[in-house]
Amino acid sequence: MADDKDVLRDVWFGRIPACFTLSPEETTEREAEPYYLLLPRVSYLTLVTDKVKKHFLRVMKAEDVEEMWLEYEGTPLKWHYPIGVLFDLHASNTALPWNVTVHFKNFPEDDLLHCASNSVIEAHFMSCIKEADALKHKGQVINDMQKKDHKQLWMGLQNDKFDQFWAMNRKLMEYPTEEGGFRYIPFRIYQTMSDRPFIQKLFRPVSPEGHTLTLGDLLKELFPAAICAEGGWHQR
Amino acid sequence: MHLGIFKITYNRTATHFMDDCFVNLGEEVILTLLQNSGTSKSANMAGERNPASCYLDERTFQLCCQLFLQHSETIQDGWSWEQIKGTDEGFMKKTVLMPVKPSVLHKQHEYSIQDENMVTDDIQANVEDETAGVQAVCEIHAVLRYEYHVLYSCSYQIPVLYFRASTLDGRPLSLEEVWSNVHPNYRQRLQQGPWDTLTQQEHPLLGQPFFMLHPCRTEEFMKPALDLAQAENNLTFLFITHPSSVLCQDTV
Repeated sequence: MADDKDVLRDVWFGRIPACFTLSPEETTEREAEPYYLLLPRVSYLTLVTDKVKKHFLRVMKAEDVEEMWLEYEGTPLKWHYPIGVLFDLHASNTALPWNVTVHFKNFPEDDLLHCASNSVIEAHFMSCIKEADALKHKGQVINDMQKKDHKQLWMGLQNDKFDQFWAMNRKLMEYPTEEGGFRYIPFRIYQTMSDRPFIQKLFRPVSPEGHTLTLGDLLKELFPAAICAEGGWHQR
Repeated sequence: MHLGIFKITYNRTATHFMDDCFVNLGEEVILTLLQNSGTSKSANMAGERNPASCYLDERTFQLCCQLFLQHSETIQDGWSWEQIKGTDEGFMKKTVLMPVKPSVLHKQHEYSIQDENMVTDDIQANVEDETAGVQAVCEIHAVLRYEYHVLYSCSYQIPVLYFRASTLDGRPLSLEEVWSNVHPNYRQRLQQGPWDTLTQQEHPLLGQPFFMLHPCRTEEFMKPALDLAQAENNLTFLFITHPSSVLCQDTV
Protein backbone atom coordinates (compact mmCIF):
# COMPACT_ATOMS: atom_id res chain seq x y z
CA MET A 1 0.00 0.00 0.00
CA ALA A 2 2.92 2.35 0.71
CA ASP A 3 3.96 2.27 -2.94
CA ASP A 4 0.47 3.23 -3.93
CA LYS A 5 0.49 6.43 -1.90
CA ASP A 6 0.65 8.59 -5.02
CA VAL A 7 -2.30 6.81 -6.51
CA LEU A 8 -4.23 7.09 -3.25
CA ARG A 9 -3.57 10.82 -3.14
CA ASP A 10 -4.57 11.33 -6.77
CA VAL A 11 -7.82 9.50 -6.17
CA TRP A 12 -8.56 11.40 -2.96
CA PHE A 13 -7.80 14.84 -4.38
CA GLY A 14 -9.66 14.33 -7.66
CA ARG A 15 -11.96 17.25 -8.38
CA ILE A 16 -14.79 18.02 -10.80
CA PRO A 17 -15.52 21.63 -11.71
CA ALA A 18 -19.28 22.20 -11.55
CA CYS A 19 -21.62 25.06 -12.36
CA PHE A 20 -24.85 25.18 -10.37
CA THR A 21 -27.84 26.96 -11.91
CA LEU A 22 -31.22 27.50 -10.31
CA SER A 23 -34.08 25.80 -12.11
CA PRO A 24 -36.26 28.26 -14.07
CA GLU A 25 -39.25 26.62 -12.32
CA GLU A 26 -38.19 28.12 -9.01
CA THR A 27 -39.71 31.39 -7.83
CA THR A 28 -37.14 34.06 -7.03
CA GLU A 29 -37.23 37.61 -5.76
CA ARG A 30 -34.41 38.59 -8.08
CA GLU A 31 -32.23 36.94 -10.66
CA ALA A 32 -30.02 34.10 -9.43
CA GLU A 33 -26.41 34.00 -10.59
CA PRO A 34 -24.90 30.56 -11.25
CA TYR A 35 -22.54 29.25 -8.60
CA TYR A 36 -19.22 27.55 -9.40
CA LEU A 37 -17.62 24.93 -7.20
CA LEU A 38 -14.90 22.27 -7.36
CA LEU A 39 -16.46 19.00 -6.18
CA PRO A 40 -14.39 16.26 -4.55
CA ARG A 41 -14.89 12.99 -6.42
CA VAL A 42 -14.82 10.87 -3.28
CA SER A 43 -17.43 12.87 -1.37
CA TYR A 44 -21.22 13.24 -1.52
CA LEU A 45 -23.25 16.07 -3.06
CA THR A 46 -25.24 16.89 0.06
CA LEU A 47 -22.04 17.06 2.10
CA VAL A 48 -20.33 19.64 -0.09
CA THR A 49 -23.12 21.87 -1.43
CA ASP A 50 -24.06 23.91 1.63
CA LYS A 51 -22.56 26.98 -0.06
CA VAL A 52 -24.69 26.32 -3.12
CA LYS A 53 -27.81 26.22 -0.98
CA LYS A 54 -26.91 29.41 0.88
CA HIS A 55 -26.16 31.19 -2.39
CA PHE A 56 -29.58 30.49 -3.87
CA LEU A 57 -31.54 30.93 -0.64
CA ARG A 58 -30.49 34.58 -0.73
CA VAL A 59 -32.74 35.22 -3.70
CA MET A 60 -35.70 33.12 -2.56
CA LYS A 61 -38.57 33.48 -0.16
CA ALA A 62 -38.60 31.04 2.75
CA GLU A 63 -42.06 29.71 1.87
CA ASP A 64 -40.84 28.63 -1.58
CA VAL A 65 -38.01 26.55 -0.13
CA GLU A 66 -38.20 22.83 0.65
CA GLU A 67 -35.46 20.21 0.58
CA MET A 68 -32.85 21.05 -2.06
CA TRP A 69 -32.24 18.49 -4.78
CA LEU A 70 -30.00 18.43 -7.83
CA GLU A 71 -30.58 17.31 -11.35
CA TYR A 72 -28.55 16.87 -14.53
CA GLU A 73 -30.35 17.02 -17.89
CA GLY A 74 -33.62 15.91 -16.35
CA THR A 75 -32.14 13.11 -14.22
CA PRO A 76 -32.32 13.59 -10.45
CA LEU A 77 -28.84 13.07 -8.98
CA LYS A 78 -28.62 10.44 -6.26
CA TRP A 79 -26.74 12.13 -3.47
CA HIS A 80 -25.89 8.80 -1.87
CA TYR A 81 -23.59 7.89 -4.78
CA PRO A 82 -20.06 9.34 -4.65
CA ILE A 83 -19.77 12.49 -6.78
CA GLY A 84 -17.18 10.93 -9.05
CA VAL A 85 -19.53 8.04 -9.82
CA LEU A 86 -22.38 10.42 -10.65
CA PHE A 87 -20.22 12.45 -12.98
CA ASP A 88 -18.75 9.40 -14.75
CA LEU A 89 -22.19 7.88 -15.09
CA HIS A 90 -24.04 10.90 -16.45
CA ALA A 91 -21.65 13.48 -17.84
CA SER A 92 -18.20 12.12 -18.51
CA ASN A 93 -18.55 12.63 -22.25
CA THR A 94 -19.53 16.26 -22.03
CA ALA A 95 -17.44 19.39 -21.73
CA LEU A 96 -16.57 20.83 -18.35
CA PRO A 97 -17.83 22.43 -16.18
CA TRP A 98 -20.51 19.96 -15.16
CA ASN A 99 -23.80 21.87 -15.41
CA VAL A 100 -26.07 20.92 -12.55
CA THR A 101 -29.57 22.31 -11.96
CA VAL A 102 -30.75 23.19 -8.47
CA HIS A 103 -34.34 22.65 -7.23
CA PHE A 104 -36.13 23.55 -4.03
CA LYS A 105 -39.53 22.06 -4.66
CA ASN A 106 -41.28 18.99 -6.14
CA PHE A 107 -38.82 16.62 -4.52
CA PRO A 108 -38.80 13.43 -6.66
CA GLU A 109 -39.95 10.97 -4.01
CA ASP A 110 -39.78 8.00 -6.36
CA ASP A 111 -36.15 8.60 -7.29
CA LEU A 112 -34.23 10.19 -4.46
CA LEU A 113 -33.60 9.42 -0.82
CA HIS A 114 -34.21 12.25 1.61
CA CYS A 115 -31.22 13.82 3.30
CA ALA A 116 -32.37 15.71 6.34
CA SER A 117 -28.93 16.23 7.88
CA ASN A 118 -25.26 15.29 7.78
CA SER A 119 -25.91 12.41 10.15
CA VAL A 120 -27.93 10.74 7.40
CA ILE A 121 -24.90 10.98 5.10
CA GLU A 122 -22.63 9.69 7.86
CA ALA A 123 -24.92 6.71 8.52
CA HIS A 124 -25.00 5.89 4.82
CA PHE A 125 -21.23 6.20 4.45
CA MET A 126 -20.54 4.01 7.49
CA SER A 127 -23.04 1.46 6.30
CA CYS A 128 -21.16 1.20 2.98
CA ILE A 129 -17.84 0.84 4.83
CA LYS A 130 -19.31 -1.92 6.99
CA GLU A 131 -20.75 -3.77 4.05
CA ALA A 132 -17.40 -3.61 2.24
CA ASP A 133 -15.63 -4.97 5.32
CA ALA A 134 -18.20 -7.72 5.63
CA LEU A 135 -17.06 -8.82 2.18
CA LYS A 136 -13.32 -8.29 2.74
CA HIS A 137 -12.81 -9.52 6.30
CA LYS A 138 -16.19 -10.91 7.42
CA GLY A 139 -16.62 -7.61 9.24
CA GLN A 140 -13.89 -8.42 11.76
CA VAL A 141 -11.78 -5.32 11.12
CA ILE A 142 -14.61 -2.79 11.30
CA ASN A 143 -16.09 -4.45 14.38
CA ASP A 144 -12.74 -4.44 16.17
CA MET A 145 -12.38 -0.71 15.58
CA GLN A 146 -13.67 1.62 18.27
CA LYS A 147 -16.43 4.16 17.83
CA LYS A 148 -13.87 6.96 17.80
CA ASP A 149 -12.05 5.26 14.93
CA HIS A 150 -15.27 5.15 12.93
CA LYS A 151 -15.75 8.82 13.72
CA GLN A 152 -12.25 9.58 12.50
CA LEU A 153 -12.99 7.93 9.16
CA TRP A 154 -16.08 10.04 8.74
CA MET A 155 -14.45 13.29 9.89
CA GLY A 156 -11.56 12.66 7.52
CA LEU A 157 -14.01 12.48 4.62
CA GLN A 158 -16.16 15.36 5.80
CA ASN A 159 -13.19 17.69 6.31
CA ASP A 160 -11.14 16.50 3.37
CA LYS A 161 -8.25 15.25 5.54
CA PHE A 162 -6.35 12.56 3.63
CA ASP A 163 -4.00 11.57 6.46
CA GLN A 164 -6.73 11.45 9.09
CA PHE A 165 -8.85 9.28 6.83
CA TRP A 166 -6.14 6.88 5.74
CA ALA A 167 -4.79 6.39 9.26
CA MET A 168 -7.98 4.40 9.81
CA ASN A 169 -8.74 3.22 6.31
CA ARG A 170 -5.40 1.42 5.95
CA LYS A 171 -6.63 -1.09 8.54
CA LEU A 172 -9.67 -1.76 6.35
CA MET A 173 -7.41 -2.17 3.34
CA GLU A 174 -5.16 -4.78 4.93
CA TYR A 175 -4.72 -7.67 2.55
CA PRO A 176 -3.45 -10.72 4.46
CA THR A 177 -1.89 -12.64 1.58
CA GLU A 178 -1.24 -15.66 3.76
CA GLU A 179 -4.97 -15.95 4.27
CA GLY A 180 -5.80 -15.40 0.61
CA GLY A 181 -6.23 -11.63 0.88
CA PHE A 182 -9.76 -10.28 0.89
CA ARG A 183 -12.47 -12.90 1.18
CA TYR A 184 -14.45 -11.20 -1.59
CA ILE A 185 -13.76 -8.03 -3.56
CA PRO A 186 -16.25 -5.25 -2.76
CA PHE A 187 -17.34 -3.81 -6.10
CA ARG A 188 -20.34 -2.34 -7.84
CA ILE A 189 -20.83 -1.88 -11.56
CA TYR A 190 -23.14 1.07 -12.11
CA GLN A 191 -25.24 1.37 -15.23
CA THR A 192 -27.67 3.91 -16.57
CA MET A 193 -29.65 1.89 -19.07
CA SER A 194 -31.38 -0.34 -16.56
CA ASP A 195 -33.85 -0.20 -13.64
CA ARG A 196 -31.31 -2.11 -11.65
CA PRO A 197 -28.99 0.53 -10.24
CA PHE A 198 -25.85 -1.61 -10.05
CA ILE A 199 -24.47 -5.10 -10.31
CA GLN A 200 -22.98 -6.43 -7.11
CA LYS A 201 -22.00 -10.06 -6.71
CA LEU A 202 -19.59 -12.21 -4.73
CA PHE A 203 -16.18 -12.44 -6.36
CA ARG A 204 -13.03 -13.98 -4.91
CA PRO A 205 -9.67 -12.32 -5.71
CA VAL A 206 -7.99 -15.68 -6.23
CA SER A 207 -9.15 -18.49 -8.50
CA PRO A 208 -9.66 -22.02 -7.15
CA GLU A 209 -6.35 -22.90 -8.83
CA GLY A 210 -4.58 -20.13 -6.95
CA HIS A 211 -4.22 -17.51 -9.70
CA THR A 212 -4.64 -13.88 -8.77
CA LEU A 213 -7.59 -12.54 -10.73
CA THR A 214 -7.87 -9.17 -12.46
CA LEU A 215 -10.60 -6.65 -13.18
CA GLY A 216 -10.82 -8.15 -16.64
CA ASP A 217 -11.53 -11.57 -15.16
CA LEU A 218 -14.27 -10.07 -13.00
CA LEU A 219 -15.92 -8.34 -15.94
CA LYS A 220 -15.64 -11.41 -18.13
CA GLU A 221 -17.46 -13.44 -15.54
CA LEU A 222 -20.05 -10.96 -14.30
CA PHE A 223 -20.55 -8.35 -17.00
CA PRO A 224 -19.34 -9.71 -20.33
CA ALA A 225 -21.31 -7.06 -22.22
CA ALA A 226 -18.69 -4.55 -21.10
CA ILE A 227 -16.05 -6.30 -23.16
CA CYS A 228 -16.68 -6.50 -26.88
CA ALA A 229 -15.89 -9.56 -28.96
CA GLU A 230 -12.56 -8.40 -30.38
CA GLY A 231 -11.16 -7.98 -26.88
CA GLY A 232 -11.46 -4.21 -26.79
CA TRP A 233 -13.49 -2.18 -24.32
CA HIS A 234 -16.94 -0.64 -24.66
CA GLN A 235 -17.28 2.84 -23.31
CA ARG A 236 -18.98 2.58 -19.90
CA MET B 1 -38.80 -31.32 -0.33
CA HIS B 2 -42.24 -31.63 1.14
CA LEU B 3 -44.30 -29.29 3.23
CA GLY B 4 -44.38 -31.74 6.09
CA ILE B 5 -40.99 -30.70 7.36
CA PHE B 6 -41.47 -26.99 6.78
CA LYS B 7 -41.27 -25.23 10.08
CA ILE B 8 -42.77 -21.91 10.83
CA THR B 9 -42.41 -20.06 14.03
CA TYR B 10 -44.32 -17.24 15.59
CA ASN B 11 -43.78 -15.60 18.88
CA ARG B 12 -46.96 -13.83 19.79
CA THR B 13 -48.63 -14.69 23.06
CA ALA B 14 -51.97 -12.99 22.46
CA THR B 15 -54.82 -15.31 21.66
CA HIS B 16 -56.28 -12.97 19.10
CA PHE B 17 -54.24 -11.50 16.32
CA MET B 18 -53.27 -8.03 17.23
CA ASP B 19 -52.33 -6.04 14.23
CA ASP B 20 -48.67 -6.39 14.09
CA CYS B 21 -45.78 -4.34 12.88
CA PHE B 22 -43.11 -4.57 10.25
CA VAL B 23 -40.60 -5.52 12.94
CA ASN B 24 -42.45 -8.70 13.75
CA LEU B 25 -43.16 -9.40 10.13
CA GLY B 26 -39.50 -9.01 9.29
CA GLU B 27 -38.36 -11.17 12.17
CA GLU B 28 -40.87 -13.91 11.46
CA VAL B 29 -40.25 -14.12 7.77
CA ILE B 30 -36.48 -14.05 8.16
CA LEU B 31 -36.49 -16.46 11.07
CA THR B 32 -38.68 -18.83 9.10
CA LEU B 33 -36.38 -18.71 6.11
CA LEU B 34 -33.25 -19.20 8.23
CA GLN B 35 -34.76 -22.06 10.16
CA ASN B 36 -35.73 -23.85 7.04
CA SER B 37 -32.36 -23.34 5.40
CA GLY B 38 -30.98 -26.08 7.60
CA THR B 39 -33.90 -28.29 6.74
CA SER B 40 -33.78 -27.75 3.01
CA LYS B 41 -30.05 -28.41 2.80
CA SER B 42 -30.59 -31.91 4.10
CA ALA B 43 -33.90 -32.46 2.39
CA ASN B 44 -32.58 -35.50 0.64
CA MET B 45 -31.65 -37.22 3.84
CA ALA B 46 -34.73 -38.72 5.31
CA GLY B 47 -35.68 -37.09 8.59
CA GLU B 48 -32.28 -35.54 9.31
CA ARG B 49 -31.73 -31.87 9.82
CA ASN B 50 -28.56 -29.82 9.67
CA PRO B 51 -28.07 -27.29 12.44
CA ALA B 52 -29.94 -24.18 11.38
CA SER B 53 -27.49 -21.38 10.70
CA CYS B 54 -27.83 -17.64 10.49
CA TYR B 55 -26.30 -17.57 7.06
CA LEU B 56 -27.46 -19.06 3.81
CA ASP B 57 -26.36 -18.93 0.21
CA GLU B 58 -28.55 -17.51 -2.50
CA ARG B 59 -29.68 -20.83 -3.88
CA THR B 60 -30.82 -21.99 -0.44
CA PHE B 61 -32.59 -18.67 0.05
CA GLN B 62 -34.52 -19.22 -3.16
CA LEU B 63 -35.45 -22.79 -2.22
CA CYS B 64 -36.70 -21.63 1.16
CA CYS B 65 -38.69 -18.90 -0.51
CA GLN B 66 -40.38 -21.45 -2.74
CA LEU B 67 -41.48 -23.42 0.31
CA PHE B 68 -42.59 -20.26 2.02
CA LEU B 69 -44.61 -19.24 -1.02
CA GLN B 70 -46.32 -22.61 -1.28
CA HIS B 71 -47.48 -22.17 2.28
CA SER B 72 -48.53 -18.61 1.69
CA GLU B 73 -50.61 -19.83 -1.24
CA THR B 74 -52.33 -22.42 0.94
CA ILE B 75 -53.42 -19.91 3.53
CA GLN B 76 -53.89 -17.11 0.99
CA ASP B 77 -51.44 -14.85 2.68
CA GLY B 78 -50.62 -12.92 -0.48
CA TRP B 79 -46.87 -13.40 -0.94
CA SER B 80 -45.57 -13.73 -4.46
CA TRP B 81 -42.23 -14.12 -6.23
CA GLU B 82 -40.79 -11.38 -8.42
CA GLN B 83 -38.17 -12.59 -10.85
CA ILE B 84 -35.67 -10.07 -12.24
CA LYS B 85 -35.94 -10.34 -16.01
CA GLY B 86 -33.06 -12.10 -17.66
CA THR B 87 -31.45 -13.22 -14.41
CA ASP B 88 -31.77 -16.00 -11.87
CA GLU B 89 -32.40 -13.49 -9.11
CA GLY B 90 -35.63 -12.42 -7.48
CA PHE B 91 -37.40 -11.55 -4.26
CA MET B 92 -40.62 -12.21 -2.33
CA LYS B 93 -43.25 -9.51 -2.33
CA LYS B 94 -46.52 -8.74 -0.57
CA THR B 95 -48.80 -5.72 -0.57
CA VAL B 96 -51.12 -4.94 2.31
CA LEU B 97 -53.84 -2.33 2.60
CA MET B 98 -54.68 -1.22 6.05
CA PRO B 99 -56.37 1.49 8.01
CA VAL B 100 -54.45 3.74 10.30
CA LYS B 101 -55.21 6.47 12.77
CA PRO B 102 -55.56 9.53 10.57
CA SER B 103 -53.70 11.66 13.09
CA VAL B 104 -50.57 9.79 12.09
CA LEU B 105 -50.40 11.51 8.75
CA HIS B 106 -49.15 15.02 8.33
CA LYS B 107 -51.91 17.43 7.67
CA GLN B 108 -51.47 18.51 4.13
CA HIS B 109 -54.72 20.36 3.71
CA GLU B 110 -56.82 22.29 6.13
CA TYR B 111 -59.39 19.88 7.33
CA SER B 112 -60.65 19.63 10.84
CA ILE B 113 -58.90 17.56 13.43
CA GLN B 114 -59.68 13.90 12.84
CA ASP B 115 -61.78 12.04 15.30
CA GLU B 116 -59.41 9.93 17.36
CA ASN B 117 -62.02 7.25 17.66
CA MET B 118 -62.69 7.00 13.97
CA VAL B 119 -63.27 3.33 13.58
CA THR B 120 -61.87 1.53 10.62
CA ASP B 121 -64.99 -0.45 9.80
CA ASP B 122 -66.49 2.53 8.05
CA ILE B 123 -63.43 3.23 6.00
CA GLN B 124 -63.89 0.45 3.53
CA ALA B 125 -67.42 1.62 2.77
CA ASN B 126 -66.35 5.22 2.46
CA VAL B 127 -63.51 4.51 0.11
CA GLU B 128 -65.68 2.39 -2.15
CA ASP B 129 -68.60 4.77 -2.18
CA GLU B 130 -67.64 7.03 -5.04
CA THR B 131 -71.07 8.48 -5.38
CA ALA B 132 -71.09 9.79 -1.82
CA GLY B 133 -70.02 13.16 -3.12
CA VAL B 134 -68.42 13.80 0.22
CA GLN B 135 -64.96 15.24 0.29
CA ALA B 136 -63.92 12.24 2.37
CA VAL B 137 -60.35 13.40 2.70
CA CYS B 138 -60.00 12.11 6.24
CA GLU B 139 -61.24 8.66 5.39
CA ILE B 140 -59.14 8.27 2.26
CA HIS B 141 -56.01 9.35 4.06
CA ALA B 142 -56.75 6.83 6.76
CA VAL B 143 -55.95 3.87 4.54
CA LEU B 144 -52.33 3.06 3.87
CA ARG B 145 -50.63 0.76 1.42
CA TYR B 146 -47.60 -1.18 2.66
CA GLU B 147 -45.47 -3.08 0.21
CA TYR B 148 -42.97 -5.64 1.55
CA HIS B 149 -40.01 -7.15 -0.25
CA VAL B 150 -37.79 -9.89 1.12
CA LEU B 151 -34.46 -9.82 -0.69
CA TYR B 152 -31.25 -11.77 -0.41
CA SER B 153 -28.15 -9.86 0.66
CA CYS B 154 -25.03 -11.50 -0.75
CA SER B 155 -22.81 -9.25 1.38
CA TYR B 156 -24.32 -10.45 4.65
CA GLN B 157 -25.65 -13.76 3.33
CA ILE B 158 -29.02 -13.35 4.98
CA PRO B 159 -32.51 -12.31 3.87
CA VAL B 160 -33.34 -8.63 4.38
CA LEU B 161 -36.72 -6.89 4.64
CA TYR B 162 -37.40 -3.77 2.58
CA PHE B 163 -40.74 -1.99 2.60
CA ARG B 164 -42.44 1.19 1.52
CA ALA B 165 -45.66 2.83 2.59
CA SER B 166 -47.93 5.26 0.83
CA THR B 167 -51.40 6.73 1.03
CA LEU B 168 -53.99 5.47 -1.41
CA ASP B 169 -53.43 8.44 -3.68
CA GLY B 170 -49.79 7.52 -4.00
CA ARG B 171 -48.09 9.91 -1.60
CA PRO B 172 -45.16 8.10 0.00
CA LEU B 173 -44.93 8.19 3.78
CA SER B 174 -41.99 9.89 5.41
CA LEU B 175 -39.76 8.20 7.95
CA GLU B 176 -41.49 10.16 10.73
CA GLU B 177 -44.92 9.02 9.59
CA VAL B 178 -43.83 5.39 9.40
CA TRP B 179 -42.37 5.65 12.88
CA SER B 180 -45.42 7.30 14.36
CA ASN B 181 -47.46 4.43 12.96
CA VAL B 182 -45.57 1.96 15.08
CA HIS B 183 -47.23 1.01 18.36
CA PRO B 184 -45.30 2.45 21.33
CA ASN B 185 -44.60 -1.04 22.67
CA TYR B 186 -42.89 -2.03 19.47
CA ARG B 187 -41.07 1.25 19.27
CA GLN B 188 -39.40 0.46 22.55
CA ARG B 189 -38.51 -3.02 21.45
CA LEU B 190 -37.20 -1.69 18.18
CA GLN B 191 -34.85 0.62 19.98
CA GLN B 192 -33.66 -1.92 22.53
CA GLY B 193 -33.66 -4.82 20.19
CA PRO B 194 -31.43 -6.16 17.52
CA TRP B 195 -32.65 -3.79 14.83
CA ASP B 196 -30.29 -0.86 14.70
CA THR B 197 -32.32 1.67 12.88
CA LEU B 198 -34.95 2.15 10.30
CA THR B 199 -33.51 4.05 7.38
CA GLN B 200 -34.34 4.94 3.84
CA GLN B 201 -32.33 2.88 1.36
CA GLU B 202 -32.20 2.48 -2.37
CA HIS B 203 -33.77 -0.84 -3.33
CA PRO B 204 -30.80 -2.74 -4.80
CA LEU B 205 -32.83 -4.28 -7.60
CA LEU B 206 -35.44 -1.62 -8.39
CA GLY B 207 -33.41 1.52 -7.67
CA GLN B 208 -36.26 3.22 -5.78
CA PRO B 209 -36.39 4.54 -2.20
CA PHE B 210 -37.56 1.98 0.36
CA PHE B 211 -37.20 1.60 4.10
CA MET B 212 -35.00 -1.12 5.47
CA LEU B 213 -34.54 -2.56 8.92
CA HIS B 214 -30.89 -3.04 9.80
CA PRO B 215 -30.32 -6.24 11.72
CA CYS B 216 -27.29 -5.57 13.83
CA ARG B 217 -25.37 -8.48 15.23
CA THR B 218 -27.59 -10.85 13.29
CA GLU B 219 -25.97 -13.97 14.66
CA GLU B 220 -26.40 -12.81 18.23
CA PHE B 221 -30.04 -12.13 17.57
CA MET B 222 -30.97 -15.12 15.47
CA LYS B 223 -28.98 -17.87 17.10
CA PRO B 224 -30.93 -18.25 20.36
CA ALA B 225 -34.21 -18.25 18.50
CA LEU B 226 -32.93 -20.82 16.04
CA ASP B 227 -31.55 -23.06 18.78
CA LEU B 228 -34.82 -22.93 20.65
CA ALA B 229 -36.87 -23.77 17.61
CA GLN B 230 -34.58 -26.68 16.86
CA ALA B 231 -34.91 -28.03 20.37
CA GLU B 232 -38.68 -27.92 20.22
CA ASN B 233 -38.62 -30.81 17.79
CA ASN B 234 -42.05 -30.12 16.38
CA LEU B 235 -42.66 -31.05 12.84
CA THR B 236 -45.43 -29.13 11.19
CA PHE B 237 -46.63 -25.68 12.11
CA LEU B 238 -49.13 -23.59 10.37
CA PHE B 239 -47.79 -20.31 9.12
CA ILE B 240 -50.21 -17.98 10.68
CA THR B 241 -50.12 -14.50 9.40
CA HIS B 242 -52.82 -11.99 9.47
CA PRO B 243 -53.89 -9.74 6.66
CA SER B 244 -52.86 -6.48 8.26
CA SER B 245 -49.62 -7.69 9.75
CA VAL B 246 -47.96 -4.33 9.71
CA LEU B 247 -49.74 -1.68 11.60
CA CYS B 248 -49.59 -1.53 15.34
CA GLN B 249 -52.87 -0.21 16.54
CA ASP B 250 -54.12 0.50 19.98
CA THR B 251 -56.07 -2.50 21.09
CA VAL B 252 -58.28 -0.40 23.30
